[in-house]
Amino acid sequence: MVADRKRLRRHALKLAALVAAVLHINAPTSARTQPSALQPPAGAEPVTIPAPAAAVSPRTASYDIDVTLDPAARTLTGSELITWQNQGSIAAYSIRLHLYWNAFRNTNSTWLKQLAMAGEMPFANASPDDFGYIDVTKISIVNPDGSDRVDLTNDLRFISPDDQNADDRTLAAATLVDPIQPGQTLQLRITWTGRFPRNFDRTGAIGNYFFVSQWFPKLGVFDQGWTAHQFFANSEFFSDFGTYDVRMTVPKGWIVGATGVEQSRTDSGDQTTHRYTQSDVHDFAWTTSPDFIEKRQQFTLPGRAPVQIRLLIQPEHEYLADRHFAAATASLQYFGQWYGAYPYPTLTIVDPAWQSQSAGMEYPTLFTAGTRWLSPRQSNDPEYVVIHEAAHQFWYGIVANNEVEHAWLDEGISEFSDSRLQWEAFQPNYLVERFFGDFIPWQYRDIPLQRATDTNYMNAYRRAPDRDSISVPTAMLWPGTHQNMSYHKAALMLHTLERMYTWEVLQKALGIFFARSKFKHPTPGDFFTVLDEVTGKDHKWFIDQVYNSSNTFDYSIESLVSEKPVSRGLGGENTKPLRAQEDTAGGTFRTTVVARRLEAGQFPVDVLVTFENGEQAREKWNGQGRWAVFTYDKPVRARSAQIDPERVLLLDTNYTNNSATLEPQSERAATKWSLRWMVWLQDLMMTWAFIV
Amino acid sequence: MLSSFLDGVNRVKNAPALVLGVWLSTLLLALPLAIVLQQMLGEHLGASLAAQAAADGVNYDWWNEFLAQTSGLGATFVPSIIGFAAVMNNIATVADKPQIPTVIGFVVIAFQVVSLFLAGGILDRLARDRALGAGAFFSACGVYFVRFMRLGVMMAVAYWALFGPYHSWLFDALYPALIADITVERTAFFIRLALYAAFAVPLFAANMLFDYAKIRAVVEDRRSMIGAVAASWRFIRRQPLVVSGLYATNALVFLLVIGLYYLLAPDGRADTLAFAIGQFYIVLRVIVRLLFAASQTALFQGRLAHAGYVARPIAKWPDSPAAEAIGPR
Repeated sequence: MVADRKRLRRHALKLAALVAAVLHINAPTSARTQPSALQPPAGAEPVTIPAPAAAVSPRTASYDIDVTLDPAARTLTGSELITWQNQGSIAAYSIRLHLYWNAFRNTNSTWLKQLAMAGEMPFANASPDDFGYIDVTKISIVNPDGSDRVDLTNDLRFISPDDQNADDRTLAAATLVDPIQPGQTLQLRITWTGRFPRNFDRTGAIGNYFFVSQWFPKLGVFDQGWTAHQFFANSEFFSDFGTYDVRMTVPKGWIVGATGVEQSRTDSGDQTTHRYTQSDVHDFAWTTSPDFIEKRQQFTLPGRAPVQIRLLIQPEHEYLADRHFAAATASLQYFGQWYGAYPYPTLTIVDPAWQSQSAGMEYPTLFTAGTRWLSPRQSNDPEYVVIHEAAHQFWYGIVANNEVEHAWLDEGISEFSDSRLQWEAFQPNYLVERFFGDFIPWQYRDIPLQRATDTNYMNAYRRAPDRDSISVPTAMLWPGTHQNMSYHKAALMLHTLERMYTWEVLQKALGIFFARSKFKHPTPGDFFTVLDEVTGKDHKWFIDQVYNSSNTFDYSIESLVSEKPVSRGLGGENTKPLRAQEDTAGGTFRTTVVARRLEAGQFPVDVLVTFENGEQAREKWNGQGRWAVFTYDKPVRARSAQIDPERVLLLDTNYTNNSATLEPQSERAATKWSLRWMVWLQDLMMTWAFIV
Repeated sequence: MLSSFLDGVNRVKNAPALVLGVWLSTLLLALPLAIVLQQMLGEHLGASLAAQAAADGVNYDWWNEFLAQTSGLGATFVPSIIGFAAVMNNIATVADKPQIPTVIGFVVIAFQVVSLFLAGGILDRLARDRALGAGAFFSACGVYFVRFMRLGVMMAVAYWALFGPYHSWLFDALYPALIADITVERTAFFIRLALYAAFAVPLFAANMLFDYAKIRAVVEDRRSMIGAVAASWRFIRRQPLVVSGLYATNALVFLLVIGLYYLLAPDGRADTLAFAIGQFYIVLRVIVRLLFAASQTALFQGRLAHAGYVARPIAKWPDSPAAEAIGPR
């Protein structure tokens, strides 16, 4: 009976999907104004969509978890059964267990020490109640019948292979009495308690908003040994794919959002247990709060399985729900076309509570967005964060490279993709600044945000371009440079590649890389290999200059001279007198352009000289020398010279000096802006004059 | 109260030279720094093609590049100098007390010193409500400047207490404590708004106290500034509603002026017109400032039942001792 109902339901869903596919949502052109259709009526039961049965990932590590939230005490009590298969090439003699919440245990953790190096001390004035932790109360190897075989609790020890910080408790190890051979399966049962840090980075609690991530004891990744690092402030995450079956018990009436598909809700007294499952994911995050407003929309595309988009939004942001859906829908459509299909049936967007510090973070099939109470139209808030995190669903979620070591491969591509999609589907966006305690927005309608510079965060990059290089393992980046390298420089690097080869070529490379690498934990080398294949070129020089090096790029036109040539001195024969002579033959003007490389970074660039009659001369310069001179004899003067006129090299930190003209407008511009500035200063004087 | 306000309007209307003089003083103080900035911008743009875009509109990429490479004065050249954002930003400097670059701080203080110097002449002119000539005006400025410097010490202490410990307590200690567990941004904003009010009330009270102290010093030719402050306090205490009502009326005019600028303020694409509108707005701000002084003076003179009375004789530039020796006695 139950099975029949389920079958009937599946047929109904398929039919609904078919209808929806015919009437598919076409987001991009009307992305901003798309109505939030397809919402179930208030009080409707959640739509249950069965998870795909066929494994698309190796499903190396699967987790079956029961967890109970005590909101008053801000604690979690959980137990899990981990089923892990050794898919490596050698036997495993031990296990590695991530205990991320211990990063918030005390200020001696590696995480907080690294933050302190960057000048951030978030727990400087914290009370003991603000700290968080995770304590394993029992860990044992389980027999196939479910009984305990070996108790590892006393053997579990904290290790700190990365920095030998004896106080760090974010990584633990236990020795296995019987090694797990390749192909063999190990089952571990772990019970633990955890306490939420108070509204802290990515996870935590504030008021009755709980965001629960990196919350359960989690295995590292095993291949030819364990890849498992301590928790660094710079680093992100790396883990194996598997199936998650998680039952979360929370106060009755509270709304839960989680990775995967909700399978059931069971009330028990004043509590409700929500069961979510999802296969082929490598993490599980969830959130709960009684304050969320829940909205749904279905995304469909011909030939693709529908995706139920669920938005849990804060009441004060409800007016922005359509913009969240539009950005998510456009992301699924564009990224699905550019890279590959989104394979999961659900996507949950969590709009975090104000001050929760959990905004803008990605988890499988779920991410946190983050917006403001007052968000002007034609600003890229919330679109920027929604698209960025949706891009992560493809790169972090599906490709899933080792982010602890190469976060750029996910963050950089996501940033690049975000910027590109905003440019394709959400234009124009204008600069917004906030005043009066950072609350009141002011939009500059005369400053539209540009893709190449603004949404790639060129300005952030150019302020510290040489603090590190992208290739440095992410966790080992100098504190505070992670964003600049993994996000901004990487996005600028990819956009530079797009300008070198066109978007079609880069999109093809990214698409092939995605197809080859999904669910396989690729490395940066895999990406560059695909790039070489698609372009038919060797990128060693590019990798050396842009990826491996911390060199800065700055090319300039040092001088542009265009005048009638003058000859002085002795002629070819001593009989000719010494004299100055203007060569007026044919009225020729000699134009001399001196191009310079001012910084260490080398990149091939074009030099474009434009003459008064509109004629142009384009030169190719390999950009390796410190300077190059180009000379032309023409019947007209030159008007301007530009180095890298198409701005292919977006990493050039000083583009103003890339051009020179013989008709400069700098005085007019400087006068205009200094006078505008003067009005500001006069207004400031008048503002403060009221006190005298 | 309304009659005092209208009287103040008439007094300002009858004193265009005052408007011109104060406006010119803002211009003359700002101009040297504007010239320095003009040179900095010109040097950075050089002969580049970026200048064309900067001249015709907002070249935000160049702007950011300039900001990344500059410091000091140059660092104040930010987008919030454009149009109405400048007003928001500048009012926010009072409300939120962000760090003002030293060089700009000096100019602001210099203008306050100039304003304090001019205050005696301005109040004398507004109290008499008739033209006195430059000699008498500057003579009054000189006579009261020393007294107002003494008053300035008291003002400095009061405003330091308000902008220093009190502001810090409100916004660096109380505000974070109040919003520590708030998860709704709108709620936090209204809490901040309440704290702005808590800051504004004593600020405006101090402002009124010192305004009337200066007025009493001029109108009654008071030498003791402590006495002037005490007299101001007595005046305000006797008619708090009228005094604060008049202050609020003037504040309303201020809001109307910035509202007008909100409508007229040109964006970054405009050139000469933007400067002209900007100066027009500054003139209006000067008028509002004078309106405060004029209407408060009118109120004080009216309420003390000796309207038009100014105790001190018209000041004149003294002749030289030699001229005095041969002149009529």
